[in-house]
Amino acid sequence: MKKSNIPESQFELQVPESLKTEEMTISMGPQHPSTHGVLQVILKTDGEIINSAKPQIGYLHRCFEKHAENITWHQVIPFTDRLDYIASMNNNLGYVIGIERMMNLEVNERAEHLRVVVSELNRIASHLIALGTYGLDIGAFTPFLYVFRDREKILDLFEEISGARLLYNYIWVGGVAYDAPEGWREKVLEFCDYFEPKIKEYNDILTYNKIFIERTANVGVIPAEVGISYGVSGPSLRGSGVNFDLRKDDPYSIYDRFDFNVVVGKGEMGTVGDTWDRYWVRVDEMVESVKIIRQALENLPEGDAKETVPRNIKVPAGEYYMRTETPRGELGFYIISDGSKMPNRVKVRSPAFCNLSVLQAIAPGVMIADLVAIIGSLDIVLGEVDR
Amino acid sequence: MRQYFKNIYEAIATILVGMGVTWRHLFTRAVTVQYPHVKRELPERSRMQLFVEMDDCIGCMACQRACPVDCIDIKTVRAGKEEDLGETSNGQKKRLHVVQFNIDMGKCCYCSDCVFPCPTGAIRMTPEYEFTTYDRSSLLFKFATYTPEQISELQERERKEKEAQAAARAAKLKAAEEAKKAAAKNDETKSE
Ligand code: SF4
Ligand code: SF4
Repeated sequence: MKKSNIPESQFELQVPESLKTEEMTISMGPQHPSTHGVLQVILKTDGEIINSAKPQIGYLHRCFEKHAENITWHQVIPFTDRLDYIASMNNNLGYVIGIERMMNLEVNERAEHLRVVVSELNRIASHLIALGTYGLDIGAFTPFLYVFRDREKILDLFEEISGARLLYNYIWVGGVAYDAPEGWREKVLEFCDYFEPKIKEYNDILTYNKIFIERTANVGVIPAEVGISYGVSGPSLRGSGVNFDLRKDDPYSIYDRFDFNVVVGKGEMGTVGDTWDRYWVRVDEMVESVKIIRQALENLPEGDAKETVPRNIKVPAGEYYMRTETPRGELGFYIISDGSKMPNRVKVRSPAFCNLSVLQAIAPGVMIADLVAIIGSLDIVLGEVDR
Repeated sequence: MRQYFKNIYEAIATILVGMGVTWRHLFTRAVTVQYPHVKRELPERSRMQLFVEMDDCIGCMACQRACPVDCIDIKTVRAGKEEDLGETSNGQKKRLHVVQFNIDMGKCCYCSDCVFPCPTGAIRMTPEYEFTTYDRSSLLFKFATYTPEQISELQERERKEKEAQAAARAAKLKAAEEAKKAAAKNDETKSE
């Protein structure tokens, strides 16, 4: 054998025992487009698989509770608008009913009906945003534009009745800020007629789209026990098949007079409690809201909606926990009064905060792209998470 | 294998359904408006910019107290005895010179809480929404019509008046008390 003059290799080929991988820490947000605001999620990932996800909150903290201790009862109402700025009417309602129950105040019938109408309209507007941005997270851009077109119609109605488009300060202690203007009732009915066929359109374009279903079904399943133990509420809990709706279970205002169904997830496309179910609950809830609006407008009594608004709000000393069903879930106001003209304490139990907390439980084991779908399906509003 | 093709078929079919929706939208009228060229009419209740009709303001400061963010700043000077400031449009007598009425629209949260307590309807929201500026300080709207000279003159007068009042206060207090007693007596005799 001819000896080559190439020296023999000094190195032995080393076979690594196994590929060395490291857990990587990624911070998703606070500027990530799919976190719906300024939410940061600290992810520990193994490749594409998430080992743990920790939401970091507080980027939008505005000291609502401290503010409320330093302003009068009435002045708190514009601040409640800013908790969940997508569903301001529902926020106003919770706080105001809490005070009314503390004061034992009877509210004018017309005002009660108007309150229900605007709250349900706001629920539709909020669910529309949830739908649209959820499609956007998954990658469908068109539905986003359609829902904003229809939400615009609701905002126009709100502008007509309250003067504002986003932060209404409309529902007041003892009634509402303005009576409905001439022809408003007909316009709302017109909107209902317009809106119902549109829901079918959303279903065609997004809900039953195969790609959308593949992305959402069987993803981020929240079993009912987990949801309950984390305090999840609203559509996110109903998506897990739990029949819990405060409008039925702890009626406030005049919700007990209306006939509507509580929508729960049935696992039509996959498992009960997956992201598709949560999405579907929102879609179907809009149909129910339209039903409620129609009933409320049908029996809209004549009268003066501002009749029972008191000049001075005097809340007797005591405490009360008022919970209402906002589009995001159970919004609770724990109000303590010492009989003075300012609240002693207003603690907010915000549904978005509790819904977000379940993320830690369901995120391990999913892919990063699925986490986007999960966060979107929880429909959080950071204004309410951080208060 | 069958499932695989079925999935593909379903995906294409549902996309086509969605496309059908968008296709139909091609033939509907656009809902957007080209903003600076086309302007939508806003409802009269629109809460955009605050406006104060100074002729109607009686300087009661109800609006200042109602504001949750303290963006209204009012200063008043009492009118002299023989001074007549006129009446507001709803017939209230004006007793105060409102020498300063500043609203910081940069702070305002457009809640319109200030509008409702006003006894004369002087302060109100208008559907005027184009008041963007390059400078934040120009969002401080000044509604008072007094010149600085007039203000200092009025304030000087008020200061002097106050001094005079302080001197006369003791006497006044006494007189008031006596008057009260007399009134109480009167009341008694009346009720009897
Ligand atoms: S609208 Fe609200 S924030 Fe603005 S000046 Fe009036 S009370 Fe203050
Ligand atoms: S409440 Fe009306 S009258 Fe009183 S100070 Fe304000 S604007 Fe003037």
